[in-house]
Amino acid sequence: MTEAWFTALGEPLGEEERREIAGYLAGLGMHAALPIHLIKTWNQAGETCQAPSDDWWRAEEDERARLERSARLDPADPQWLALNEALHGAAAVAAARSGCADAALIRVAAGAASSAAYQARLARAAAVAGGHPFLRKYALYCGGRWPLGIYDGVFAIF
Amino acid sequence: MSAYPSVKTVEEFKQQPEDYQTAVRKIVRSHALNELYGAQVFDEPAIRLAPTPYAKWLTCRVAMEEYHHHVRFRELADQIGVRAEEMDTRHKRPLNIFEVPLESWEQFCVIKMLGDLAEILQVEDLLHCSFVPLRNIARTTMPEEKFHAQFGLDFCVDLVETEQGRARVQKAVNGFYPEVPKFFGASGSRNNQLYRQFGIKLRSNEDMRADYMARAKSTVEPLGITLPNA
Repeated sequence: MTEAWFTALGEPLGEEERREIAGYLAGLGMHAALPIHLIKTWNQAGETCQAPSDDWWRAEEDERARLERSARLDPADPQWLALNEALHGAAAVAAARSGCADAALIRVAAGAASSAAYQARLARAAAVAGGHPFLRKYALYCGGRWPLGIYDGVFAIF
Repeated sequence: MSAYPSVKTVEEFKQQPEDYQTAVRKIVRSHALNELYGAQVFDEPAIRLAPTPYAKWLTCRVAMEEYHHHVRFRELADQIGVRAEEMDTRHKRPLNIFEVPLESWEQFCVIKMLGDLAEILQVEDLLHCSFVPLRNIARTTMPEEKFHAQFGLDFCVDLVETEQGRARVQKAVNGFYPEVPKFFGASGSRNNQLYRQFGIKLRSNEDMRADYMARAKSTVEPLGITLPNA
């Protein structure tokens, strides 16, 4: 599989992506039909995720903690670190193409993708069933998106 | 500066006097451990304390960079004969700086602002190191170390916009800063003298400590924050 990190930011959502989002939300115990807000620019993405999103974050953290009871990953594994560097590089290239030179925001995007990649690896290590919310969210990243989370009852995605 | 010749490769390193090899091993092991401790006890736990997804993801990325620094130093340590157990945080007692329990986001921002400033000085001192593989790791990690300290400063600038925030930052500085100057080692250190004799490091512990204290003061003063006695 060739991942398309950060290459579809701001593009209209396809039906498959909408189904992935609905499955992700339902899997986390959220309302599957939450309104979706498509973010168009890097600045808008940065502003959006500077608001608190505690319920959504807690739902993900609860699931992560549950999975970590049956599987652990080494954060200093060289292959894992190489993936993180690739994610940072892809975020930097995507930002540069859009005229964004904000080093912190590029790291925020890379950190978000790292976090999603960690969750997906954890889910696989814990041998979850297909369709697990962490696998669905990671699929959105692999398809070039940056899911930003739930803010004021709206799911935001770049 | 020492006129010790450049040691360009690990193979050349193995031809150096035993004292040179021991000195380099001590420094590489120290950096490998410090980077790992920092990531484990500060950066990774701070993700939970960060107030927004923006801050959480940025902290996540910073944690990954710190782990990567550890791996770079550890790989070099492996090549120059440092035993694996010497780089295992389960077997080695951490420096005093890593024994401060992390309890708040403000505390983490202060640790990045002032703790990573101390790391910048340590890495700066290796930018012209006679052992070229170590010099190159220092040069590779330096831009990220600078970013980490700036990250801490930027968040502290936001935090001190309110009186309550300023008070929390001041409290965190009061708790963390007094431990940092010890990070530079003893004055009149025999080890440090050897490091300079071999061209591994440039400055004495006391020079670096004085420089750090001056730079820390000029970092926090514009925020209306004062440094406690160290």
